Amino acid sequence: MKNRFRSLTIALAMAGSVLFGVPHFPDDMPPSRGIADAQDDWKNEFEDICSKTQDSMALTADELKRLVGRCDALRPRIEMLDETQKKVYLKRLQMCRDLFAFVLESKEGK
Amino acid sequence: MHRLSKILILLASVLAYAQVAHARESLLPERYGRVIISNYSERAGLAPVVFDHWLHRSQFTCRLCHVDIGFAMMAGGTKITAATNKQGFYCGACHNGKRRYNGRAIFASCSEGALLKDAGCERCHSQNKNVIKNHDFNVFVNKMPKKALGNGIDWEAAENRGLINPVDFIEGVSMQRTSIKAQKDFSIEANVTWMSPVIFSHKKHAVWNGCEVCHPNIFPIKKGSIKYTMFEIDAGEYCGVCHDKVAFPLIACERCHSGSLY
Repeated sequence: MKNRFRSLTIALAMAGSVLFGVPHFPDDMPPSRGIADAQDDWKNEFEDICSKTQDSMALTADELKRLVGRCDALRPRIEMLDETQKKVYLKRLQMCRDLFAFVLESKEGK
Repeated sequence: MHRLSKILILLASVLAYAQVAHARESLLPERYGRVIISNYSERAGLAPVVFDHWLHRSQFTCRLCHVDIGFAMMAGGTKITAATNKQGFYCGACHNGKRRYNGRAIFASCSEGALLKDAGCERCHSQNKNVIKNHDFNVFVNKMPKKALGNGIDWEAAENRGLINPVDFIEGVSMQRTSIKAQKDFSIEANVTWMSPVIFSHKKHAVWNGCEVCHPNIFPIKKGSIKYTMFEIDAGEYCGVCHDKVAFPLIACERCHSGSLY
């Protein structure tokens, strides 16, 4: 019964592709909303983290630790970007992380 | 022997003259802060880029370029390519032909043209080229408050009087930040008894640099935990990353060593 249902599904899919053709996505087609959202997602996170550098001295040790952790979690996502974006944003992220870690160390050393 | 001495003296004179001439060139106010960028230009058949800090620092904060856009603090350290500019990074973050400044579109960097001449490459790739710049230093400096050495401009006074208003945010590149809560000024004792202590103003530095330009890359240390020396600073460490290169030179001792000796 299960095999018959699978065969029927495959046959219907093949018939559909013959009748309506295989969809073609041109190279310059804009990404779907879902993909665009995923792309923006890392940038939103990046901006949210790095917008806090100005306040770093006013943040608590726990808040600073959380920000360092968020930087570390974001890094692999930026590493998956194309070469130029990766170069630019990894450097920017590193500057934010280094500042938070520096302030944290200063506060803990007091 | 006598002839050999004459030749040696002549040679030494020529070398000394060349040294002095070079030093004088780099001391010209319009050339102070000039950076020559030549990572890939010559291989691509173009002249190295001549970047004048005075023009950009009159319009943008240090942080905008060195944090938000991501330019390295060392000349040539960014390794900018035409491709990165065309993608909208580094110079291309502003120089894209679309972004506007003072009502004018900022010319595109590394744009495609039928001929190199048409593409306008020489606006930046201008070393040893007779390029007429759109912005004349002498015209600009005439309107500015003067201060000896460096560019000959008192940049701080220029901002206080509203003569310059450096932009600190560009759409799509910068992020919204809260205004900075500057730390208190502090004093650093000089290593010698005859020199006044340094009065370091966090406020003055943070307004153009933010925090992350300096900490921790340039100053990875906690206050008072290290003795700075002028040898290190002169070699381009600590204050010497900016001072003597773009910010006022180190020979203006009293501008930092401004505390009271007694």
